[in-house]
Amino acid sequence: MSPDLADLLFAATAAVYLGASVLFVLFLLGRAEGAAAWAPRLVALGVPLHAAQIVVSSLVLHVCPVQGIHFAMSVASLLAAAVYVVARMRFRIDVVGAVVAPLALTFLLASRLVGAGMSNVRGFRSAVLPFHVAANLLGVALFTLAFAAAVAYLVQERRLKQKRFEGVMQRLPPLDALDRAEHRFIVAGFPLLTIGILTGTLWAKEVEAGGAAEMARAAFGYVSWALFGMVLLLRAAAGWRGRRAAYGTIAGFGFAVLVLLLYLARDAAAGGTVATEVSPQASRQPDGLTIRGGP
Amino acid sequence: MILVVGLSHKTAPVEVRERLSAGAEALPVVLSRLAARDELQEVMFLSTCNRVEVVALARDHGVDTALRAIREELARHGGLSQEAELAPFLYDKRGDEAVEHTFRVAASLDSMVLGEPQILGQVKDAYDAAMAAGALKGMLGRCVNRAFAVAKRVRTETAIGAGTVSIASVAVDLARHIFGDLDNHAVLLLGAGEMAEAAAKSLSKGARAVRICNRSFERAAALAATMHASATPWDQLEQEMIQADVVVASTASRTPIVTHDMVKRVMKARKGRTLFFVDIAVPRNIDPSVHSLDNVFVYNVDDLEKEVARGLKARHAELASAEKIVADEVAQFLSWTRGLQVQPTVVAMRTKTHAVLFGELERSLAGRLKHLPEGDRAALGQMLESAVNKLLHAPTTRLKARASEGEDAGELASVMRFLFDLKEIPAEHDRDKQSPVEGGADGDGKGGEGLPH
Repeated sequence: MSPDLADLLFAATAAVYLGASVLFVLFLLGRAEGAAAWAPRLVALGVPLHAAQIVVSSLVLHVCPVQGIHFAMSVASLLAAAVYVVARMRFRIDVVGAVVAPLALTFLLASRLVGAGMSNVRGFRSAVLPFHVAANLLGVALFTLAFAAAVAYLVQERRLKQKRFEGVMQRLPPLDALDRAEHRFIVAGFPLLTIGILTGTLWAKEVEAGGAAEMARAAFGYVSWALFGMVLLLRAAAGWRGRRAAYGTIAGFGFAVLVLLLYLARDAAAGGTVATEVSPQASRQPDGLTIRGGP
Repeated sequence: MILVVGLSHKTAPVEVRERLSAGAEALPVVLSRLAARDELQEVMFLSTCNRVEVVALARDHGVDTALRAIREELARHGGLSQEAELAPFLYDKRGDEAVEHTFRVAASLDSMVLGEPQILGQVKDAYDAAMAAGALKGMLGRCVNRAFAVAKRVRTETAIGAGTVSIASVAVDLARHIFGDLDNHAVLLLGAGEMAEAAAKSLSKGARAVRICNRSFERAAALAATMHASATPWDQLEQEMIQADVVVASTASRTPIVTHDMVKRVMKARKGRTLFFVDIAVPRNIDPSVHSLDNVFVYNVDDLEKEVARGLKARHAELASAEKIVADEVAQFLSWTRGLQVQPTVVAMRTKTHAVLFGELERSLAGRLKHLPEGDRAALGQMLESAVNKLLHAPTTRLKARASEGEDAGELASVMRFLFDLKEIPAEHDRDKQSPVEGGADGDGKGGEGLPH
């Protein structure tokens, strides 16, 4: 598989996500009439390009796409973009793309530009790990969307409470649509997070992990799981929806992000220095496990 | 010349306007009377809540008699005395002013609520009625048709129709920002007054249920019967609020009837589902502190009117751009109509030249040139046709250009008629041929030769 093709796909995907991000910003600022229609379409165009980029890059590098955390985050952002493209057909949540597009762009660039040394993790070949990684990636994708919907909800709700009609309020989706979408993303993501937590616990036991960072990562994971669980439980039992649910969602997502940051810190430590080369050829390693520079 | 005679909300009270308005039954009668008047070549009758106008094309040199005829028919239609009861409220516009007025009315620049969209539909209805009555045949039909295109341009190129400019539409807009589609929501009316009815009618379009709660159950039942709603006893108020999504309050109560504690209980029972209050009562019916509760939104009449004022201000800011479009379009239309003024002279000149030259050719072909074969005869005919075109090209284009530039081309045309001894050709004969009313009242701006689209 040609590295040039991987480069081409990478550049095309980045350009499309960048275009979508710019259009979303213009849309929110009320500066471009057609931005509302074109920004989500660009995200939709970015999804197959991003998928192709991941497949081609993994073939070029001879590495599993979810093996390194940066690469895995790129996959998670792809999943978030894909779910967004499907979900916007059902909910009127186009504006959620204003978070998804820049996030996808950031993770795509991070997969390439940041030092992404994939440590040869103990027990990596454990049977539960593929479930752990897959569930977490899809879960992160769904919680990203829930987070974006929650942020949009809070902005819209604040403007309605302050009775400020002009500006961004006119361009945000209806309050109830945002609340419903946020809830459904959490409902879909929570079982995946539960699987991620369970498999993570099993794997930690299997490899007898017990470092401070690993403990903190596990603790943040549990807190995130508990917060999302509480959002769902209190909504069903006590009618906690709207603003309270949005705050809970943002907090839960914040802890999930902390887990990812700890992964990044671990891999940065394991991988060593930040790569300056961005070419896949430069990143390719003979053993296919220890990668610097990422795809 | 195009004329407009009428009255509007700016010049006449509703008592006079309603006397002159024409519904579906009266319209054909008044139209046929106007169309039967010899003084008028074409006519259209526009009747809305806020204006009654006759738009007509007067016969040449008969503007004053045409105006008199229209006033007579209006007085007859309204059963009013022309001088005492009608004349103080009437305005008339002639020529350029009439065209400009027609364009402004269609574009909603002369409406009570600037930029409201209904007027265009009403002008289209008037146009259709006049077409059906055979009262629009040429230039006037073209003018009204052009007015549709102008209105469309104004709406597309300016934000004259943007924003919400009535309390009811602001309430609907807010409800959409909260609930999205209003197809599956329930509306509860507190009070059975006129204001509640107006707001509720807009909010209850497509609603799952509309309930009316009033201290007098009979009044609630009476209002419910007129708007596919159901009445509910006053003591069920709290229970009804648990089911509703939008509550419109407009009772005459001097103290708030919906309190903070009451809504707190309601929200608990609703499991936090969003509740939207539209409080159009003065004094207010909903305790303002209710707005601070989670997932509850209270908008009172001041909040809504603020948005109405903002919408109107935004529309007025667009007025200058809209007027510029109208002015451009009027100039183009007038240029086209002035071109038509010299058209009979152009046609007469061409007809005469053609007749003289081909008459001579026929005489020659029957005499000295009778030996010519058929092919040569045809070639001579073509040569003469080409010569006529080349000869008349310069005078034709210069005459038309002078006319469209707004210069007095009539004098030049009469000089040409004198010099070439041309006979008068009735203007409307050629006008009808040159300015067909195309496309019907679809406002697409399709039109005949010469007018930009």
